[in-house]
Parts: sequence; C-alpha cells; structure tokens
Amino acid sequence: MKRISVIGMGFVGLVSAACFAHKGFDVLVSTHDPKKVEMIHAGKAPFYEKDLNPILAEVVKKGNLRVIAGRREAILDSDITFIAVGTPSKADGSIDLGFIKSSAKEIGEALKDKDGHLVVVKSTVAPGTTEEIVKPAIEKYSGKEVGSDFGLCMSPEFLREGNAVYDTLNPDRIVIGESDKSAGDALEEFYREFYGEKCPPILRMSLVAAEMVKYTSNALLSTKISFANEIGNICKEFGIDTYEVMRAVGMDHRLSPHFLRAGVGFGGSCFPKDVNALIHKAKEIGYDPTLLKAVMNVNEEQPKRMIKLLERKLPSLKGKKVAVLGLAFKNDTDDIRESRAIPIIRMLLDKNVRVSVYDPLANENMRSIFPDIEYCTGAEESLRNADACLVVTEWEEFKKLDHEFDVMKNKVVIDGRKVISSREGIDYDGLCW
Amino acid sequence: MRISVIGGGYVGLVSAACFAEMGHKVNIVEVDPEKVEKINSGISPIYEKGLDNLLSAYAGHSLSATACYDDISDSDLSFICVGSPSQKNGSTDLSMIESACISLGKALQDLEGYHVVVVKSTVPPGTTESVVMPVVLEHSGLHNLKLGFAMNPEFLREGLAVQDFLKPNRIVIGSSDSNAGDIVEAAYHGLNAPIIRTGIQEAEMIKYASNAFLATKISFSNEVGNICKRLGIDVYEVMNGVGMDPRISPHFLNAGAGFGGSCFPKDLLSLIRLAEMVGESPSLLKSVIKINDYQPRRIIELLENRIGNLEGKRIAILGLAFKNDTDDIRESRSIVVISELERRGAEVSAYDPVANSAMKKIFPKLVTKECASDALRGADACLVMTEWPEFANLDKQFDLMKSRVIIEGRKILKCKGVEGICW
Repeated sequence: MKRISVIGMGFVGLVSAACFAHKGFDVLVSTHDPKKVEMIHAGKAPFYEKDLNPILAEVVKKGNLRVIAGRREAILDSDITFIAVGTPSKADGSIDLGFIKSSAKEIGEALKDKDGHLVVVKSTVAPGTTEEIVKPAIEKYSGKEVGSDFGLCMSPEFLREGNAVYDTLNPDRIVIGESDKSAGDALEEFYREFYGEKCPPILRMSLVAAEMVKYTSNALLSTKISFANEIGNICKEFGIDTYEVMRAVGMDHRLSPHFLRAGVGFGGSCFPKDVNALIHKAKEIGYDPTLLKAVMNVNEEQPKRMIKLLERKLPSLKGKKVAVLGLAFKNDTDDIRESRAIPIIRMLLDKNVRVSVYDPLANENMRSIFPDIEYCTGAEESLRNADACLVVTEWEEFKKLDHEFDVMKNKVVIDGRKVISSREGIDYDGLCW
Repeated sequence: MRISVIGGGYVGLVSAACFAEMGHKVNIVEVDPEKVEKINSGISPIYEKGLDNLLSAYAGHSLSATACYDDISDSDLSFICVGSPSQKNGSTDLSMIESACISLGKALQDLEGYHVVVVKSTVPPGTTESVVMPVVLEHSGLHNLKLGFAMNPEFLREGLAVQDFLKPNRIVIGSSDSNAGDIVEAAYHGLNAPIIRTGIQEAEMIKYASNAFLATKISFSNEVGNICKRLGIDVYEVMNGVGMDPRISPHFLNAGAGFGGSCFPKDLLSLIRLAEMVGESPSLLKSVIKINDYQPRRIIELLENRIGNLEGKRIAILGLAFKNDTDDIRESRSIVVISELERRGAEVSAYDPVANSAMKKIFPKLVTKECASDALRGADACLVMTEWPEFANLDKQFDLMKSRVIIEGRKILKCKGVEGICW
C-alpha cells in the first residue's frame, strides 16, 4: 500500500487524510501548530464536521494517521503527497496562492533527495496554476524534472461541508488531471485501491482541464441557485409559489431537482470564491463573463431584498430590535464564511437597528466580525421583544419554531430559506414566495 | 373520452394523434382547409418522427379534423393549442388565443354536460385566468359550474415529440378547481408519469421556468466554452466531468453556436418582459440571451481571424435548421450567421438535408445545394451550424474547398483540422 502525506490541515486536508487512513493507508500530516497536534492526537478536529471526529479518533488510535511537526519528513516518508492548503480570495476576486507556492517549495526541497514521488494538487486553484506555478516551483527547488523524476496530478475535491466524510467515501466521480500518463496511472491505482469494488468513474484529463472542472461545477451550482432566486423574485411579484414551480421544473431529466431552492443566496468558502475567481480569470484573458457576473449580482441582491421586505413591514427601522436566526452559511456547520447573515447584519447595523442573533453552532465565529451585537443561546431569547425576525439559515431546529414567536413585540417574520412551517398567528413573509 | 384539440399546428397535431393512440376520440379544429384535408387523409402537414404512422392509423376512425367548432360541445375536454408568437418587444401575441376563445365560447353555448377548457399553448402567467376564462365565459354565456378551466403545458421536443408525449418526465396540471383537474388527469390515464397538480399560474410559470433553465444551461456552457477556448482547454472534457454531479445532470451542457427554435428564445424573452412589467430586472436571464446573441457573431470573428476580410469570399454553410431532425429554421443561429456574411459581402452556398427551402424564404438570393460536396466546392471556408448526423463523417469532401478552413459551431465533425467555436 502506498504511503500518503497530506499538506494542509483544513477541512479538505484533514477529511481526506482521515478517510485515507480509515481505509488502511498510512497517512502523515504535518503542522507547526502544537495545539493542533494535541487536538488531533486526542481525536478531535480543530473545526466541526459531521462524522469526522469518530473516524479521526479511530485512525489516530490505530496509528494509521500520524501528525508530525516537519513537512519534509512527511514528504520523504511517503509515496504520494496531496496538497490541500487553502486558496483564499483576494480583494479583486483572484485567489491568493501563497500557501500553494510555499508548499510547492517545501516539496521541491524535499524531493531533491527522493525520486519517483507523486504530487497531487487537491486545493482549488485557478486554471493554469498547477502547470505554471506548482510544476516550475517543484522543478526549481528539487532540480528534477516532472515526468521522469516525479509525477504531478491535479485532482479536485467535490466535498460538501457537513457531508464531507460521506462525499470522500462515495464520490460521484474522480477527476484526475495529469502531467503525464504514468503520473495519472499511479494516482488512478491509488484511488482504485482506496475505493475497491465501489470505485466511481475515473476521468483522466489534462491538468488545466481538471482545474476547470472544479470551477465549472461550482459555477454551475451557483448558477442554479441564482436562477432559482431570479425566478423566485418574479414568482413573488405574481403571487406564484416558486417552490411548486421548481418542483415540476426539477423533474425534467435534463435539469435535476437539486439546488433549485429560492432564498437569500449562497455563501460558504467555495461558491462565491470560485465564481469570483473564474470571473477574474476570464477577464484576465480578455473575456467578459456576462452570465457569471449576473450570477454574483443576483446573489448580492438577495440579502438587500430581505431588508427591503423588512422595511415594507417596518418603515422606520431606527432603534427597532431585529432578531436574526441563523448565522452559519448553511445548516450543520459553524462556518460563517460569506454567510448571507453578514451583509444582512451589516445593513441592519447601518440602519441603527438593535440586532440580536442566535445560531446553534456559529455564534462564536460571528463574534469576531460583529463583537457588539447581542448573542443568544436560543431562538426564544433572541426573539424576546423583537420587532421583527429574519431567518437566514435552514437549521432543522428552526422548522419547529412556533410558540417561541409569542415573545416578540411585533410578530413580523421574514423567512429567507423557507424553513418556518408554523405560520399561524405571525405576520409571515417569504423572500421569494 | 371525447377530446377537441384547437389548432392543428405542431403541438396540436402531436397531442391529438397521441390522445387517439391512447384510445380517446379526438377532433382537431383547424382553420386552414388544406391542413384539414391532409389530416383527414392521414398525412401529416409537418415533419415529425412517428407522427405520420399515428395519423394514418387513426384518421377516419378515432381522429378527425374540421374547420368549424360545431362539435366541441359534444366533447368532454378541449385543448387550446394555437400559436402564441412573440411580438417585436418580446411580449406574447395573444390574438390567436383570444379568437380561439371567442369561437370556443360561442360553440359551447348549447353545452349540456360539463366541459373543461384546457390551455396547452405556452402563455404568460395570468393569461388563463385573465384572458381565457373571462372570454370563454362571456361568449358561452355559461357560468363556471358547467365549465372548468385548466392549464396543462407541453414539454415536447421537436423530433422526439411523440415519444415525449407518451413517455413524459412529468405531467403538469394547473386547475381552477379539483374537478376540472381530475378530468384532465383522466385524459392522461395510462401514462406512466408523475402528475403534478398546481394552481393555474404555477402551471403557466413551470413552462417558462423550464425552458429558461434549459437555455441557461446552454448559455452557461457557451460562456465556459468561450473561456476554455482561450485557455486551450477542451470544454467537452470539462463538461463531461461536471455533468456527472447528480445535482447538475449531464444534459444541455454542449457548448456551441447557441440555441434557436420556436421556444427557447421566445419564452425567455417573454419571461424577461413579464419580469420587467412587475418591476424586476432579471439580470441572469438577460445575460443568457446576451451570450446566445453573441455566439453566432463569435463564429464570424473566428472566421475573420482565419481568412481575413470576408468580402467576395465564398463561405459554405452546412446546416440551416435550428437543430437536427427538423426542417424548422425559426431563430436558427444560421440566420444570424448568413445575414452577417451577406452584410460583409461574402458569397454563401448552403446545404441542409431538409431545411433549404425554408431558409430561402428568408434569404431569397441564398444559393442552396443538394449535398455537402456541392456546397463545399471552391469555398474559402466552411461553417458547420447544425449537428446533422450525416455531417459527422465528412472528410474528403472538404478537399473540394479552395482552402480547408473548417469552423464548427456544433461539435459533430470527426475529421482532422477542424476549429470549434468553443474548442
């Protein structure tokens, strides 16, 4: 069995490492952060992801997953290195490749003393990055040549936060972009061993095409959401139930029923970042991506619509108390990156509204952005004496809200996710329905 | 059941023939006496796979056509299948719907039992309730205890319409009351498909949203294709990986010269007009149209990159129909390409297996040929605009050209040395 090292201990890196180890591979992860080493030794992920901790505890106990301090040792002591470091957005929408570059450098320096290694980029990187940045850096610092001395692949992940363990073990397809055939063969062999009889379809292609598959998939899913929102906005004006419309639309086998729920828009660490990066890349090569820009435009308008709807109900917001239910960008995560709750809270604060918020997991994370709003430990507490309530995340527990609304001063409830089911006795309005 | 179908056009004919196949007794009301005669003698006035067989099997038995509305009051249901074309500003022309409703209303004056009027034509949300219902009620003098109303959109693809009617993904029935909806549902009894019962406006919107979404997938693919081409990536390879995500579905991800036909452009434009009427500015839908308008111009750009000024050049166009297996050229991307070429002083020689004569009605001076070789002979360049399967194996025919410059707007050719619009 091949020995694996994983660089990057974020969501993608740690989930991949734990799953590889879970299937019996020897996996090395490395970090310079002693606190993280300690947490992982205790079988705990430094972030929340469903089903990850039990697997992590199991593989650490069995010794399949080891955390060490030095990356160099991890690389030298393995056959395949996955790069799963973060690629955050810069202000202009392009991605910051700082972590990618430093990883490539470290791998290059280690490979000076090792032949036949396979390097796999798993991080989401703009088309061209693996070929134009990772490859030359490894070649430069190792003094070796891709193809003959080491192999290079790009194999994007398609993990959903909250389902990442399941998605790693049961993917729809595996995409392998390869520098040369033998590199692709080696990675395919690893995946076939990892998945055994349940191996999903494996698609082999060029490095740049694999990078593009990832961006395009996220861009198309984002497009579906913005499409559903735009149709939802039109439906709302006509008094049509957009969910009823989209249920029938989704039954067309050419469309698929997923990602057609109208609401306050998409957030998270992937969709906005990836669509913006693709827009940036397109502009860089002289193409103006009209549709992708419209997708982002619709997404930015949805939170503003929610505030407009609120102002229709409460013409003067100044000094009012508004409860925001849900801070995470989606349910079952504590991740607030690009959450639609952020622009909503910001707009409310700009209008001198007293904001009280509640999220089952994400209160603490939001505190770093808005330290001065009121954080509550339950929905009812945040609703007490509120003049209105905005529902921003589709948490399961919000579906059951009912008598909790009784403590509001003014029972205006605006639902951005079609999650509130009990609508008797409240002044309910949906964003697109 | 006894079913009347108003309008012997494409949707009406296919629906009528399929209802007859399902065992109903069907009468088509069609104002054009020539069409009536053809239908009654079992010949289809339009080309659609499988339709001739059904017409010849049932004409004169359970399927008939008449020019008048007289027999409608004897039927249980009438399906309105008349055209609802676009006006210049993109809004929908409802005059044929209205006049059908007037005639229908008058014919129903002596109705004895209960009758359901079903709108199958694609109409903007609100039309059935604000136009069809009041007009039929007024001219029939009946109240809505004897008349029910429903909206039942069609999802037929040209070339596959018979199959789509008999094996649908879903049947959408929007109705004013459940009794009316139940009767429409009974007409579809025996088809193995989920039935979605909704309000009337929802049913109207489902049709627009479905077509708008399919169009969005195409424009999305074209935009990604335009980016991929510049990066030297094969967009088809990319979309193959993308489409394997069950949240996306692999269909309608083929980059190319854009969408045409009688539905997508029209329905998208009317949806945009409707949205604007209620104060929305649908930026995503507008971008879908914008990309679609750009693609044919893009292929001209690529052509000019290859052979420079087009004045006096001979350009062969392969494919005129908006898609394969049809002679329909409505909104075909070839129309835009041919008019751009003519405007630039190029000489066009075109070939389509079935759509030559249809295109000559738009471009009377267009030179059309009877085979690909004839169109290609002596040409400076060739543009492939329709994915006719017979084009797939063209190769040595391109040697008849003065220079072998081939640009395809649809990924269909297998030979070497072909440039694609997005690949």
